[in-house]
Amino acid sequence: MNKPVSSHAGTEISTWQAFCATLKRDLVIALKRKNDLLNPIMFFLIVVSLFPLGISPDPVELSKVSAGVVWVSALLASMLSLDNLYRADYEDGSLEQLLLSPQPLYFLVLAKNIAHWLISGLPVVVLSPLLAYMLYLPSEAYWTLVLTLLIGTPVLSLFGSIGVALTVGLGSRGLILAVIVLPLSTPVLIIGAKAVTDVMFGLPIGNHFALLGAILALALTMAPLASSAALRISVN
Amino acid sequence: MWLWFSKLGSPRWFYELSSKWLPWLYAAMIVLMAIGLFWALLIVPEDYQQGQTIRIMYVHVPVASISLACFPLMAVAGTITLVWKMKLADMVAKSVAPIGAWFTGLALASGAIWGDQIWGTWWAWDARLTSLLIQFFLFIGVIALRSAIESQDAAAKACAVLAIVGAINVPIIKYSVEWWNTLHQPASSFSIDPVAPNPPEVWVPLLIMISAVYVFFVIALILRTRNEILQRERRSQWVIDLVSKEKSV
Repeated sequence: MNKPVSSHAGTEISTWQAFCATLKRDLVIALKRKNDLLNPIMFFLIVVSLFPLGISPDPVELSKVSAGVVWVSALLASMLSLDNLYRADYEDGSLEQLLLSPQPLYFLVLAKNIAHWLISGLPVVVLSPLLAYMLYLPSEAYWTLVLTLLIGTPVLSLFGSIGVALTVGLGSRGLILAVIVLPLSTPVLIIGAKAVTDVMFGLPIGNHFALLGAILALALTMAPLASSAALRISVN
Repeated sequence: MWLWFSKLGSPRWFYELSSKWLPWLYAAMIVLMAIGLFWALLIVPEDYQQGQTIRIMYVHVPVASISLACFPLMAVAGTITLVWKMKLADMVAKSVAPIGAWFTGLALASGAIWGDQIWGTWWAWDARLTSLLIQFFLFIGVIALRSAIESQDAAAKACAVLAIVGAINVPIIKYSVEWWNTLHQPASSFSIDPVAPNPPEVWVPLLIMISAVYVFFVIALILRTRNEILQRERRSQWVIDLVSKEKSV
């Protein structure tokens, strides 16, 4: 019986190393393109500041909608920055190399999704208290807003990744990504915004966090699998 | 059993078999629809609260129940496409998406008309309405993805993945929305007890209407799938023979 011989003996790379390498590579690329890094954050700021202009400058009215406004803006910012996730890699062929690599694609996709979240999701989470203040969110709800965003935005990246993976090979995608991704993101939006509103009314919010955590766990385990399958279909 | 399974995957076999089924299905639909509509619209007594508007239920409930069944059906067809690469499954998945979107739209429209009478408003951000609306968006997403991808094979697989992801999401959306806001009455149960809130004279015609609309749905699905088969197999000999036979007749 022949033992299976690895084709690149000696240069064996463990899954963990590949995961770290992919994560590092995506972060380095993002840090080198300062504009791509800033755009989602600026977009988030601009969208949030449009709402008072559209609704009313009145503190009472704004504080009522502030949680929803921040959440919807975070959702849109996450979606608009998704395009960078696989697009450039698809065009220069490195996505194909990723698919051909011997490590499980699940972990490589997960690394890319985590990188995307660190670049587009985390700054939104960090900025959210400032915007919440500008929208007159009651101060007792700040932590809830930050925590729901902290649990919720990774889910947005993970779900969004499926949509980008499905459409990465298409010439004109524009709105189709939004049409696919936004309906999938509704549960997170509902629960996240509801948790913040409930805190403002002094209601218990433990169950909201349990549900958000459950959705995050589901997304972490399942979404990269769907993204991997979708990437294999799109690149083919 | 597996032979039967692979045979079922043959579009030609399905086309020929469904030609035999269709007349029976048409007959069943006409009979059921006639009985159901006559019973529901003329015989069922007025509701003591809702009056004549209760009759909208006999359209709304069947349509809504089918619209809920369409997404799982599409996901099952998508799974079969991905796992067994069965051509017919993808044809069914492609056909069910627009039908599902239509039925969801109809459920929303008939619900709005009913809601206008009962709740005094066409639209409310109620749990079931909202989750049905989001399901409608999901259907639109699948249809848009299908039309955006040129390669038929890639479109089939991509839509299958999206259908499966969507089907996992539908219950999550349903529960999160339900718990977000509820105005809609809970689904009523069927009971043979004559003093129950829903006596048989109300639910028997409803059951007939549900079966009638289901048969209609199956017919629509078969017709669409048959069109799809003819279009995709237009270069194969049996379709050419079929068309030339139709022409000569």
